[in-house]
Amino acid sequence: MNGIREIPVAFGPAQSLFGVVATPANGERGKVACLMFNADATHRVGSGRIHVKLARQLAERGVTSLRFDLSGRGDSDAAYGAEHALTQGVQDLQAAMDQLEAMLGIHRFIVIGLRTGARPGLGLAVADARVIGLLMFDGFAFPGRRSRWDRRLRRMAAIAARPSAIAGTLQALARRPPSRAAVAASAPFGPDRPEITMALFRRSMTQLAERGVAVLLLYSGSVHVVDHDRDQLGPLAHEPGLREVDYRFMPGIDQGLISIAAQQSFMAVVGDWVLRLTSRRATARPERLARPALPVERVVLRTA
Amino acid sequence: MTPLLFGPASRQLFGLFHPAHGDTHVDRAVLICPPFGQEAIRSHRLWRTLADRLARMGYAVLRFDYHGTGDSPGDDADGEFEGWRRDVCTAHEELHRRTGARRIVWLGARLGASLAVLAAKSGRSDPARLVLWDPIVSGRDHLQWLRERHVEALERSFCVPDPAWRRQLASDPRAFTDELLGFAISPTLLLQLRNLGADTLQLTALHETLVLAADDDASVRRWCESEAARRMPVRYSPFKHPLQWSAEPQPGDALVPVEALQRLATFVT
Repeated sequence: MNGIREIPVAFGPAQSLFGVVATPANGERGKVACLMFNADATHRVGSGRIHVKLARQLAERGVTSLRFDLSGRGDSDAAYGAEHALTQGVQDLQAAMDQLEAMLGIHRFIVIGLRTGARPGLGLAVADARVIGLLMFDGFAFPGRRSRWDRRLRRMAAIAARPSAIAGTLQALARRPPSRAAVAASAPFGPDRPEITMALFRRSMTQLAERGVAVLLLYSGSVHVVDHDRDQLGPLAHEPGLREVDYRFMPGIDQGLISIAAQQSFMAVVGDWVLRLTSRRATARPERLARPALPVERVVLRTA
Repeated sequence: MTPLLFGPASRQLFGLFHPAHGDTHVDRAVLICPPFGQEAIRSHRLWRTLADRLARMGYAVLRFDYHGTGDSPGDDADGEFEGWRRDVCTAHEELHRRTGARRIVWLGARLGASLAVLAAKSGRSDPARLVLWDPIVSGRDHLQWLRERHVEALERSFCVPDPAWRRQLASDPRAFTDELLGFAISPTLLLQLRNLGADTLQLTALHETLVLAADDDASVRRWCESEAARRMPVRYSPFKHPLQWSAEPQPGDALVPVEALQRLATFVT
């Protein structure tokens, strides 16, 4: 913890939101801060404490962050109003930016949205010009028919090679299905139909490209084994607004970041991307990612 | 709820203090000793909700993260029993300093329950009562259980799992012991876990202990019986709940099981 200062903060309406600011102890905190928040129901520390580890690594490299709990999660109070969960999430993220502006005078932000956090992250980036960068990890995905069949065949082949997996699959099928309300509440893309989600995603990404917001779409080995050509973007892969975004497929890591090696790979990629963004002007065109040093990753990059 | 950093400068701990509403029970307070690793993450919201409820009932509550866990300073690999045992005592002293309460109940869950027993035995603090929820009484069994959950989690998480994981689990007792469900395990902690057993987990006669565990948890039951045979003031109460300690939350899972919450609030007050 040498060189890092961590400050617990309560903020937002009625101080109902709770988080921890991690900042360089020497006061040279830069002009851009990162926001990290809940993925699924996990509280602010993240799966395997990934947000704490990433926040400290970034602070050691001069970047401030705020990891916090959205309304009704972790240590934050439930929201007073009756906003839609997505709207509430965006408002909570804006409150986090307001807090860092008031506390440290930081006015530009990078949003790091893991899994279900991708949706409010995208909503915020579209709604608020203070956002200069958005990372979405296993967030929006629209794999095409070929990719889905490829995935299915590989899974079937794996089961055939390991009969014991059949028992696990049957057990999973036998579990009581969650209620419709529970699924809707936890679904990363909300209850919208896929075509509506895709249309919203396309429009949002176009708007972010026009504003010069840097976007990194990161996908894990939970979504597929291979990625031939930005497969998770399906029909959108080469559309304007999406051609330019950074896209990285990392089959060696899983979306829960269960292994320490996965966490280290994730932090290396995210840390380098954040540092690249913070070291350039917010209004510049997004830079493409450099080829990763880690051999386990398969990287798909496309030029604009 | 007040966030705080407390303890010696060389080993600060992150905590959340819930002051009591009103002055009904000014002499009493509750210290929550959380589980470790994924189990701490899984149960986090439950502790928050329970602490709120207890505070409304008039009991001050302190929740905290052991060194190297949660929001406390330190890395995963810094974790070990001796330091964590001292952390429990440090948290007790902080709660006493803030409230002046003479009767502080420790509520420990899983490995947190085991640490509470070790901390109480050390004699540095004087808890009024221990409430131990699903305590780990065999570190070796717990380690094996966590290894299996780790491999299951890997298999669930990858689109196509690697069959070598399960083979390693079956054939190599050292496999999946240096990290479990996203948390690094130091060699010291691994050794301490392997050595944790009924013989090293002894209660004292200075306070009452209530043990909450499932009816079918034979090892906890046996441990209670052996401690009772040593004339320790221990009571066992069957406690069934739907919380899956090591699981990633899934749709439909109970993050804060209401019935368990109500019973816990009753048990610690």
